[in-house]
Amino acid sequence: MATITGGAIDPPSLRPPIADATIERVEPAQLHARLEALRADGYTMLLDLGAADYPLRTPRFDVVYHLLKLSPNARTVADVGTPQRLRILCGVEVSDPHLPTVTDLWKAADWAEREVFDLFGIVFDGHPDLRRIQMPHSWEGHPLRKDYPLRGPARERSPRPPFALKSNVPAGTPPSGETLAALQEQRKKK
Amino acid sequence: MTLSPTPLTPEIVSHEGNSMVLSMGPQHPSTHGVLQVLLEIEGESIVKADPEIGYLHTGIEKSAENLFWSQAQTVIERMDYLAPESNALCYVLAVEQLLGITERIPTRAQVIRVLFAELTRIASHCVWLGTHCLDMGALSVFFYAFDLRENILDLQEAAGGARMHPNYMRVGGVNGDLPDGFLAKLDALIEKFPGRMRDLRGLLQANPIFQDRTIGIAHLSPDEALAWGVTGPSLRASGVPYDVRRAFPYCGYETYAFDVPTRTDGDAYARFCVRLEEMEQAHRVLEQVRARLDAPGPVMIDDTKVAAPPKETIALSMEALIHHFKIVSEGFRVPPGDVYQAVESPRGELGYYVVSDGGNRPYRVRTRPPSLYNLQALKGVAPGNLIADLVVTIGSLDPVFGEVDR
Repeated sequence: MATITGGAIDPPSLRPPIADATIERVEPAQLHARLEALRADGYTMLLDLGAADYPLRTPRFDVVYHLLKLSPNARTVADVGTPQRLRILCGVEVSDPHLPTVTDLWKAADWAEREVFDLFGIVFDGHPDLRRIQMPHSWEGHPLRKDYPLRGPARERSPRPPFALKSNVPAGTPPSGETLAALQEQRKKK
Repeated sequence: MTLSPTPLTPEIVSHEGNSMVLSMGPQHPSTHGVLQVLLEIEGESIVKADPEIGYLHTGIEKSAENLFWSQAQTVIERMDYLAPESNALCYVLAVEQLLGITERIPTRAQVIRVLFAELTRIASHCVWLGTHCLDMGALSVFFYAFDLRENILDLQEAAGGARMHPNYMRVGGVNGDLPDGFLAKLDALIEKFPGRMRDLRGLLQANPIFQDRTIGIAHLSPDEALAWGVTGPSLRASGVPYDVRRAFPYCGYETYAFDVPTRTDGDAYARFCVRLEEMEQAHRVLEQVRARLDAPGPVMIDDTKVAAPPKETIALSMEALIHHFKIVSEGFRVPPGDVYQAVESPRGELGYYVVSDGGNRPYRVRTRPPSLYNLQALKGVAPGNLIADLVVTIGSLDPVFGEVDR
């Protein structure tokens, strides 16, 4: 299959003008204060918290917050109207993959931060229960990083017994009885 | 690599007093798939609930990054396997935004997209209603609901060729016009629907056993619902009428007349009422869609950079052959950028944050799965209820684990 990559190193900076959300880039040091201010400003819902990996860029990761300004007191469709949607992008260095947690602002961040930790290896300081969520707890590596192989880490194949190797037996060889003996041996063990 | 058992959460292990820890699932039938809930209980009452997910993790987001833009749609459809058309629609809309062709999608394609988005909503709610009632021991509802769903799956099969995952949405339109005889089947469904809804309502709405099991159970206040990121019918049952179809219209939803049903009780019964009314509103939209389907027209964008040219032209035109070969062998390329697109899936706001680096494969497809956030609210909703009510609570939040775990 032809492999064509666009090669854009920092796609979010090249985006065409699409009116899907207001976009803001925040430094990790200011992140929590900024989000706290937004929460107080009426952004009651953390729609989503995800991440993306741009290996050739500095900083390497983007953690992406989508916020929605929705009032819990809205009772009609007109009250809701078209709520403001805000995207906060926060660059994270691979050498220091730490961000402050926002679980204190939105409970919804709990599993979302665990997922980003699990799949990207970004640590959210102050998270009450930062464990892997999708992958098994003893898993090594962070699968959604771009340098993680699609089919996972290479594992050793279990060795095959010598009688099962076809190359050991030229065509036309009469049965030696070894296979039968090995099978009976196996059956005895069970 | 060895798989170790799930370590218990520290808070749950250090319980005190008369409580004990109970592990419910992941093989429990009422968990609708594979969900494990670690419960700290005192007698029959739940003190703390900690859902464990990830048993169905299949790495769909990673797979999508390694497929062509159009191929990725097939795995994305399998996230929410009860509403595949919603997933496909949302992804397709996001890619179209990046391509800048949103305005050029033919009207008939938009109408057909709305048709399947609403059909899949009814079908998904049918599964929810059937299994929700099965959890509570009401068997007959299941048959009535699944019979209706089967009619919808027939329509999906007629249009896309497969019952469950028709892969009918395409970037640029839909895959081929509706086949002969489709509209007659659709008419039959539209006619059958009101009577079937009367049956379902008659079985449940005023049923004292059903009301006993659902009224006042799993209460969610509007503030709590927003804090947990709950969307869809579960949010609207708490009183906030946020519906993506109204707030951020797509596919021409602003031109359809339908209501956004809400309740203010925020309990399992309110969610039941909201979902039933949503099915009726979906039926209303279907009637309007049916009227618009009489107008013929193209169903695919006329742009050979995105969509393969019609099969008839390939034998006649060298250029068409080349375009066809290019689309099939290396897909189309999408300009670099990122976009967030949301649709109202049967479970709530389904969003895709799609990043393109300019290549022929998605660079990153981040899903905002409504089920994940809705299910997470279980931690706040379950405490204080009985174990038997946990079954109702999970059912009323309607999670789909293909989507939660992806």
